[in-house]
Amino acid sequence: MERINFSLLRNKAEKEIKRATDLEELNVIFKKYLGKKGIITQILSSLKNLPKEKRSKIGRQANLLKSIIEKEKEKREIAIKKQIEQESEKDESIDVTLPAKRPETGHLHPLTLVRRKVEKIFESMGFCVVQGPHIETEWYNFDALNIPKDHPARDLWDTFWLDQKRNKEKLLLRTHTSPVQVRYMEKHNPPFRIIVPGRVFRHEASDASHDIQFYQVEGLMIDTDISVTNFKGIIDQFLRKFFNRKIKTRLRPGYFPFVEPGFEIDVQCFICQGKGCSTCSQTGWVELCPGGMVHPNVLKAGGLNPKNWQGFAFGMGLDRLAMMTYKIGDIRLFYNGDLRFLKQF
Amino acid sequence: MLISYNWLKDYIKGKIPPAKKLADLITMHSFEVEELRKIDNDWLFDIDVLPNRAHDCLSYLGIARECCAIANLVYTPPVFKIKEDKNIKISDFVCVEVKEKELCPRYTARVMVDVNVASSPSWIQQRLKRMGLEPINNVVDILNYVMLETGQPLHAFDLDKLDGKIPKKIIIRRAKKGERIITLDDKKFQLDRDILVISDSKSPVAVAGITGGKKAQISKSTRRIVIEAANFQMKAIRRARQKLNLQTDASLRFEHEPDPNLTLFAINRACWLIQKYCKGKVAKGIIDFYPKKVVPKRIKLDLDQVEKILGVKVSLGQIKRFFKKLELKILNYNKNTLLVEVPTFRQDLSIPQDLVEEIGRLYGFDKLPLVIPRVLALPPERNDSVFWEGMAKDILKEMGFCEVYNYSFISDQDAKCFSFKEKELIEIENPISREYKYLRPSLIPNLLKNVKENLKYFSEMKIFELGKIYKKPPISEKRALTGVILTSGSGIQNFYYAKGIIDLLFAKLGISNVWYDEVQPTPEESKISFWRPKRCAEIKTDHTEVGFIGEISKKILEKLKISFSVVVFDLDFEKLQNLCCEEHEYQPISRFPAAVRDLAVLVPRQIKVVEVLNKINTAGGSLVRDVDLFDIYEGKEIPEGKKNLAFHIIYQAPDRTLRKEEIDELQNKIIKALEENPEWEVRK
Repeated sequence: MERINFSLLRNKAEKEIKRATDLEELNVIFKKYLGKKGIITQILSSLKNLPKEKRSKIGRQANLLKSIIEKEKEKREIAIKKQIEQESEKDESIDVTLPAKRPETGHLHPLTLVRRKVEKIFESMGFCVVQGPHIETEWYNFDALNIPKDHPARDLWDTFWLDQKRNKEKLLLRTHTSPVQVRYMEKHNPPFRIIVPGRVFRHEASDASHDIQFYQVEGLMIDTDISVTNFKGIIDQFLRKFFNRKIKTRLRPGYFPFVEPGFEIDVQCFICQGKGCSTCSQTGWVELCPGGMVHPNVLKAGGLNPKNWQGFAFGMGLDRLAMMTYKIGDIRLFYNGDLRFLKQF
Repeated sequence: MLISYNWLKDYIKGKIPPAKKLADLITMHSFEVEELRKIDNDWLFDIDVLPNRAHDCLSYLGIARECCAIANLVYTPPVFKIKEDKNIKISDFVCVEVKEKELCPRYTARVMVDVNVASSPSWIQQRLKRMGLEPINNVVDILNYVMLETGQPLHAFDLDKLDGKIPKKIIIRRAKKGERIITLDDKKFQLDRDILVISDSKSPVAVAGITGGKKAQISKSTRRIVIEAANFQMKAIRRARQKLNLQTDASLRFEHEPDPNLTLFAINRACWLIQKYCKGKVAKGIIDFYPKKVVPKRIKLDLDQVEKILGVKVSLGQIKRFFKKLELKILNYNKNTLLVEVPTFRQDLSIPQDLVEEIGRLYGFDKLPLVIPRVLALPPERNDSVFWEGMAKDILKEMGFCEVYNYSFISDQDAKCFSFKEKELIEIENPISREYKYLRPSLIPNLLKNVKENLKYFSEMKIFELGKIYKKPPISEKRALTGVILTSGSGIQNFYYAKGIIDLLFAKLGISNVWYDEVQPTPEESKISFWRPKRCAEIKTDHTEVGFIGEISKKILEKLKISFSVVVFDLDFEKLQNLCCEEHEYQPISRFPAAVRDLAVLVPRQIKVVEVLNKINTAGGSLVRDVDLFDIYEGKEIPEGKKNLAFHIIYQAPDRTLRKEEIDELQNKIIKALEENPEWEVRK
């Protein structure tokens, strides 16, 4: 056997391993030295033919080289893997600024959302939610609410009448949710507190803030001693919860035949914060909710004795609350079914 | 009502707050000041006088009285004294006959002679112009001026233009049918018995309380005049105004019942001004038809009630001060109760609550504290209608539907387009336009219009509405839940998609056993139906029909210019709600494996899948957990007039693993059951 130059072999192997660029090449090099027929393997297997003293020396050197190559190979393997990983990461990279793909979801109407919010707040204060018919008799819509026939006060409500050729009793589309006050009183004994959300109709020219139909939330609370200060307390609580902040309001005299005293609640204009703008016709205030103490004649019409019972009623505009909530400038958007609008909610 | 700040000051003594401050006070204690405008060296208030105070506050004196009450000032109405000429007597010129005592409770008249009709003084002209009134001549201008000042409408006739001999007769009567009048502004009106007129011996010279006639108009040549200050019944004026469609400053005031006791003051004020600015002599005497004198009302006010209603205690001293400013006289105070006399110009005050309001607003509603009421801690009753509506909306939203709200009306064109029967439609007597002529008998027309409009921006949509529909006879309303589906798929695909929506909706509302029944319309029905024939079904649970599902007919879609197939489901929500159920029990999940066997059956084309499914389920019994139709095929390789249905049948028991033999046996039982029908062939 010729003399083996271990240091030369070592240098060569190390160089080759370092030069390997991928795992396959590395494996070929590794096999060249340590495979079944590898150089080192052969050396080790030929040891048995050597004399004893030479055998142990060469054996030691060959085993040393074997462990060095193994280590070098391992090192190189890690390096190559790392490199591959880095390179493949480079390929996998995505542009995170590309537009998102949203799941298709449904949408509830903004008036449904606002109505639910209102109902939830009043229910938390013990108010029941009650409903009533759209088609009303003249009696419930006017007479029972202390608005007699031929009285100029009726002009406050421009009314849609139904065409009935034969029917004697005049029917109309309710101009407010107030008829439900009397309908409820007829069937329930006080004390009670209710709200009545619902659609109402007015025979008016429509514009950005008026439409021929809109939504009201009637409120009614009757007990032995419910006062104006209680009305203020309840409305204040409602507005705080609804807007989630302190809202500036004012209470000024108003006239509605079914309340006495009657008021009008204004809130500070949500567009200009009270400075004056076109939404509030330069006054800084927006009418939110007429209300008052239920007129004794209305209690009587509902079958209650005004000597025993008293309380407040109010009629809030749901559309206006929604307009304030979402800063919507035109009430007609609620009723034209435009999905570009509705899909925003 | 427009009010000039400078003019208003004529009737107020004391330190008047600056215009802005005064406007705020008026808004917070009386009426909303809608606008405050600076004009030259004056301020113009646009005051929205409340309807119940229009009888006294559509006037400078009324507003001045209010201002004095709310700003603690001294009210100073004009003081004057007219000079009557002893040598001429009113009865020599005119006599008055009121034929309608109910409609004309008071008629006051004076006569003036040697009147010099010319332009009125510039200060009067200026004041009128500021209020938006055109100056005409001194007599007419003064009458208008006094109306603005006092709230009492006045009118003057040229005595010499009245028909008949002196003393001339003035008659207050109903117009005769067909009678005509030409008004001061040259408009012609035909009158009837519902309209009250002022007439001379021959023909009407004025429409009572609304406008004067041309016949006895004051002109430059006028020398002798009759001045009228009357009081007319509110309802009569209102009816006439509506009939003639003619609203004037006078009719506006008469419709709000001005104080009948005002006529005397106003007529004297007018005579005094005419005497001063148009010369002329006032004839001695006054005609004053006033059979039923209106006297002040009395109201008892319990001070405890004041506190109970307002929620705060207002001291007796304060109440007394308020009442004094409002000219409410306290006649008596006994046992905490006030007896209050209400002046006749405050006809709005008749019950104790009215007085509480006066106290409240002068005290300031805004100043009252906020107090949360002490009440029973009872939770509110749930409203099932609201609950189930909310639930149904949420379910549809989860399925990707968008909720819309439409108008409750449809147009006459829609009514025709959808062939709604006229006798079932509720017509609006006074529609705003033809667009809104009927109440909607269905939610479908407006939803299809939504589709049409939105097709400009969207190619697919799923929308729904839950709202009232209206029908007669008898006139009634109920809720409907209607959805529209338009996708890129075919009409048939949309149909089955919609059916899936209904299945899921019903399942989530706790309604089981929904099924779909073919519609068998009579030829007549199908002609007018807006459903596409053979592409629609009745939605049923047990034997109740709860709605309809189907494609909209091509005819309707063409009319609406929609070129895609549209599938609609239309549910009676009242019926649906009655079926809804909140109870929901979980089904245990079997721990034992399921086995799937496939089965293909060749059946005549017209056989409904449900018939095959029923057979499989009946024969298979409870161990068949599910049957899943995975393919329908007709065409090549299939005999003419037949179709091939392929099912996965899933077998599973809740309590054990099914043995192969057991499953084979069941499968064979099913095959046998299917083949009982000679035209059905199970493919092996």
